[in-house]
Amino acid sequence: MSIVIATKAEMIKTRRSASFWISLIGSAFIPLIFFLTYVIQPAKNAMRLTNAPWEMHYMQGYQAFSAFLLPMFVILICSLIPQLEYKNNAWKQVFTTPQSIGTIFFSKYLSIIMMIVFLFVMFNIFMVLAGVIPSLIHPDLPFLSKSFDWAGLLKLNIKSFISLLAMISIQYWLSLRFRNFIVPIAIGLCLLITSLILLQWEHVSKVPYAYPSLSFFQLSTGTMPKSDSFLMNHELNSIGYFVLFTVVAFLDMRFRKERG
Amino acid sequence: MPIIKTTNLNFSFRQDQKILDNINLEVPEGSIYGFLGPNGAGKTTTLRLLLGLLRNQQGKLELFGKDFGTHRIELLRRLGSLIEQPSLYLHLTAKENLEIYRLIYRVSKERVNQVLSLVGLENTGKKKTKQFSLGMKQRLSIAIALLHQPELLILDEPTNGLDPNGIIETRELLKKLNKEHGTTVIVSSHILNEVERMATHVGIIHKGRMLFQGPLTELQQMKTRQTAIEIETSDNQRALALLQQKFKASVNEHRIIVPFESKEQSAELNRMLVNQDIDVYSLHPRQNDLEQLFIDITSNN
Repeated sequence: MSIVIATKAEMIKTRRSASFWISLIGSAFIPLIFFLTYVIQPAKNAMRLTNAPWEMHYMQGYQAFSAFLLPMFVILICSLIPQLEYKNNAWKQVFTTPQSIGTIFFSKYLSIIMMIVFLFVMFNIFMVLAGVIPSLIHPDLPFLSKSFDWAGLLKLNIKSFISLLAMISIQYWLSLRFRNFIVPIAIGLCLLITSLILLQWEHVSKVPYAYPSLSFFQLSTGTMPKSDSFLMNHELNSIGYFVLFTVVAFLDMRFRKERG
Repeated sequence: MPIIKTTNLNFSFRQDQKILDNINLEVPEGSIYGFLGPNGAGKTTTLRLLLGLLRNQQGKLELFGKDFGTHRIELLRRLGSLIEQPSLYLHLTAKENLEIYRLIYRVSKERVNQVLSLVGLENTGKKKTKQFSLGMKQRLSIAIALLHQPELLILDEPTNGLDPNGIIETRELLKKLNKEHGTTVIVSSHILNEVERMATHVGIIHKGRMLFQGPLTELQQMKTRQTAIEIETSDNQRALALLQQKFKASVNEHRIIVPFESKEQSAELNRMLVNQDIDVYSLHPRQNDLEQLFIDITSNN
């Protein structure tokens, strides 16, 4: 499949790139802070975490991560990966390779999504390590003695990821539109901050940049409606926006008069 | 069958300003086609249209006898290109840059090593492309264009910014590819001299219009016809009167201009002047640079 090969080629471009380092450092940042608090104040934390250490550890970690840092990293990754082409004058070479515009568009899109998945995976690994390693140093910490809710963690990750889809599609489109990568980053951050202000608004489920916070709040406070559906309204909206803006961005690239 | 053929190609970025005006480009198979013109003449625009980087507005565009619009992917597979500055991922090594295109063009790993040694970059190892000199970057870009052994190379000013050595190496490489593999090459340049040294065919574009197109020999014959001898003497007034008895001599600033006929004629001119005790300070064919050639061709048209 040409899209698989093209995505592989796209992933070579992200080797040692700024987006790779941002994903790695960004995913380690919050776990590192937790790690340090556990190591520096083991007794206090052991008491606080006695009952459900992993749940508390994760909920607090995600709270700090999902509202602002995670969307910000996503904005950065979505801008920096297309920026590799602009910065290196490489769009013209990409568009003269024997690939359909669809392959070019979706392979880059997939490489961005995979970088975000990498960010998620690394965040989870670092969070586990931030619990396990301090427990090896200070056996009082309860992480090793309590079970770990894998299903809950998986749910948290999947819902967070889905809540990001709307943002990803909008940011990808903006990054393809603007040569200067500061523009999509600035627009993204403005929309993100506006969304955080609007969190209490009754129509917040229509504001794409608020979705990561909504997913987390509804999971952590248990305000999730007691229905059988796995996805909540705003998460369905996120998928809807994702489809819409993906189509818009693709058509924009397909029918552009001047490429590269 | 010409490898590239455009019929009445027109292009404008703004309605009131024509960038290309009825361009009929014809690049024969197996040729090295020098696409010549000053900066802003429309060379890059033409080449970008050929590669589909600009949407064709008016006119027909055929590569390998097929319409570009309807056979884009198939035709792109058969050509390699280098447009303006190098398109390299500066945070990657030469090999990693080639690996990206190796996957897309689906060529063997050996081919990567082959093109690297072809352009003399086989020993760059882990060095990042951003540490390369401009000449090395340009060579790596040529390696990318050559990776899939294309039948046609479209190169836009490939020697721009190279030192004399780099220019010679690039020229020799293109000649070699043309000779040994039959690769058709279209290479744009604003330096007449450079094109004359490698091209078999020439197209001259100026202000969006084709002024000349044909084999290099035809251009050279035309140039010879346009060539003149410039003479500087101790007494231009007397010299002019003397030479006008036999030739169509005229005076231009401080020099006498005589249309060039042959080498023997030059010797005769000198003899005539010396015999009349007129000192000859200089006597040489007038340099026929691109600018002069344009003036000559346009005035001819």
